[in-house]
Amino acid sequence: MRNVGIIGIGYTPVFVSKRKDVNIAEMISEAVEDCFANTGLGPDDIDAMVFGNMHTFEGVNMPHLWAADYIASLGKPVMRIATGGTTGMSAIHAAYYHIASGLHDVVMVVCFEKQSEGDSQVGLMGIVTPEIMAMLQAGIDISGSSGMGALAGGSAGAISFQASSYLARSGAGIEHIDGMAALERRNAAKNPYAHLKDANATAESVARTALISYPIRFGHICPTSDGATVAILASEEKAAELADGAAWIHGLANCASDASAGNILEGVITDPAEQMPCQLAAKQAFERAGIKDPKKEIDCVEIYNGFAHQTLMFLEKLGMCEVGEAHKLLDAGELEINGRCPVNASGGVVSTNAIGTSAMNRVTECALQILGQAGEHQVEKDVHKALSHGWGGLMQYVTITVLADKPRKG
Amino acid sequence: MNRKIAIAGYRMKAASDLVTTRERLTFELTRGLFDDLGIDRDHVGTTIFATNDFLDGRTISNVFLDPPAGVYMRDESKVEMDGLSALVYACMRILSGQYETALLVAFGLCGSQVSPYLHVEYTLNPTYDRQLGLLNELSAAGLQARSFLNKFGYSEDLLDEIAARNLRNAALNRDQARGIKDASAKDIKDSSYLYEPLRELHTYPATDGGCAVLLASETKAKELTDKPVWILGMGQSIESYYLGERNLYESRSTREASGRAYAMAGIDKPEAEVDFAEVSSLFAQQEPILTEALGLYGPGDAEKAYAGDNGIAGSLPVNPSGGPLGAHPICATGLFRLNEAIKQLRGEAGKNQVKKAEIGVVHGQDGVCAQQNTVVVLGI
Repeated sequence: MRNVGIIGIGYTPVFVSKRKDVNIAEMISEAVEDCFANTGLGPDDIDAMVFGNMHTFEGVNMPHLWAADYIASLGKPVMRIATGGTTGMSAIHAAYYHIASGLHDVVMVVCFEKQSEGDSQVGLMGIVTPEIMAMLQAGIDISGSSGMGALAGGSAGAISFQASSYLARSGAGIEHIDGMAALERRNAAKNPYAHLKDANATAESVARTALISYPIRFGHICPTSDGATVAILASEEKAAELADGAAWIHGLANCASDASAGNILEGVITDPAEQMPCQLAAKQAFERAGIKDPKKEIDCVEIYNGFAHQTLMFLEKLGMCEVGEAHKLLDAGELEINGRCPVNASGGVVSTNAIGTSAMNRVTECALQILGQAGEHQVEKDVHKALSHGWGGLMQYVTITVLADKPRKG
Repeated sequence: MNRKIAIAGYRMKAASDLVTTRERLTFELTRGLFDDLGIDRDHVGTTIFATNDFLDGRTISNVFLDPPAGVYMRDESKVEMDGLSALVYACMRILSGQYETALLVAFGLCGSQVSPYLHVEYTLNPTYDRQLGLLNELSAAGLQARSFLNKFGYSEDLLDEIAARNLRNAALNRDQARGIKDASAKDIKDSSYLYEPLRELHTYPATDGGCAVLLASETKAKELTDKPVWILGMGQSIESYYLGERNLYESRSTREASGRAYAMAGIDKPEAEVDFAEVSSLFAQQEPILTEALGLYGPGDAEKAYAGDNGIAGSLPVNPSGGPLGAHPICATGLFRLNEAIKQLRGEAGKNQVKKAEIGVVHGQDGVCAQQNTVVVLGI
């Protein structure tokens, strides 16, 4: 198969709660221009584009149509990808296949979310509202997790089931979620593109934030951000011609399971902390990347963690440590930027969450680590291989990308 | 293309109201396709959906299709565009060598569940264009029709001819949702104006519909079917959102997309080499505009073409199936064109069958006045 590498990255100048100074199309154009400025490339170098976001958050259907004039896409093939929280990484995967297929050589990925334009939790409740209505009509008890998700206000309500289950199974305590959130807020303080930053965050300071839905505190939860991310991917020949270096895609996979959170009529509830799709997708991506022992071979990880317990939970699901071990790594300081297994050096989704970009930023942040361009949040150890994880759907859809500093052989 | 890709099979269904759910429709189409080919979900390498959250009325709508499409614990992605673009992605996945087969599922339940016009209204700039309410899918189509008629000096009668032809053809085709047996230009003129010169019967009908298509690499396709239809070329392009930046009487991005598709297929003279076309003309005037952009008819040739050449029995038929004036299940329409072309190439189109069908071109679109277009060339 053809090698595909990431040769350029661009961000909006900031990721913040409300960008009142620009509209959606203008905001996206900032990231496109930043990417062109960073790479010295221009629209003529780009063969095709991939575009992604979750349109229910802004209420603009297929916004690539409106944005077409702003993102240097006129006259080019443009493909719009939308898979929910994972959209950004699904878009990277689409760009990979654009090039791996041999049909294109240089592809630009453009993802954004401008959540201040709408209400994200209303958008998210749109996932389960039809189920809830049907259940109410049929007189079914709606105290299952999808019902609670809607009733408790979108994702935080649903996620408390997952966090409780994770704590019960792993032996971790709520103080570990506090500690993980604090670590990521501190990392975010080093990242100019992060949204929620706190250089002095501690487990104790997070523990003082309000309890939203046990065991989830306000300090464990991602913000809603406005921002856009752009990346340029290229074939091996074009990368050599156009760029000084690249982060190479060695393996990618995704997996989906059943979206219903359980069949309440039959008394079956899916354990939202099992995350079988994550385990299967990681296994497949590692196979494709030729990785036998991720614990030894992966140098840094970027995890999609809308909520801080997910960093720990997914480390276990991804095979980066044994089940029940993640919180011990946290206690030992191994997940820090200078640790043995640095996680979310960027601050993660829990610190910055413009949803269309969230899964994409996991990949671009891994790429920056491999290229040694992460600046203040560059991890201490040398990064040869990095793992990025995207999570979404109705808590059942996972994307994985493995990046490396050299092209894949054979 | 580094390897050959064929369409092994398809299922399609359309009506003004299918009285079904998205999940039920997905299951019936997928299961039906699997039964046609004698396979089960283990034969499917990857799945691409073409649906739209806005039409489906729910966020991340693809995830509820995973079980009915047999994607449980499998790989899938969603292209939130017309299905023909999803076909391009599915082909890329096979061409990469990662997969041998790809399932496409596309549908829009727009006849029974939501106004189809809202879908486009919500693509508009929310601050100005949408709130003013002057610009919408129909008013833009009215402007496009007027621009086309004025440019070439045609009368509104031409639009009636185009619509009557399509609705007559659609009446012969059991896969269409709407058709008018022996429709005449007068029948069309009797329908009321929506936005002058655009009349109700110049316009696509609100449709429930969907389809499932299985793509396969050469080796796999030969195992699955005796009648593979090969994908020879693909091309896509987009043009400006702003109507004022565009000449509405032509389709620049379709011309760019078809240029790419023909180059890939090694076609130099489409007007001579292509046997028929199935285009996503959502409004009567779009059919001549698109066929001109596809290089099949010259600019200003429309009156001559509709006098005979592009009918089912003509030398270069356009939309022998009846086209989207017979059914426009948004997101599936481009793949409906594909499936109609497959019928022609396999000689299974019945009363809609054209005389010679060895190379066909199909087209799908998104946006106001076909802002974004995809062209695929098929052969046997």
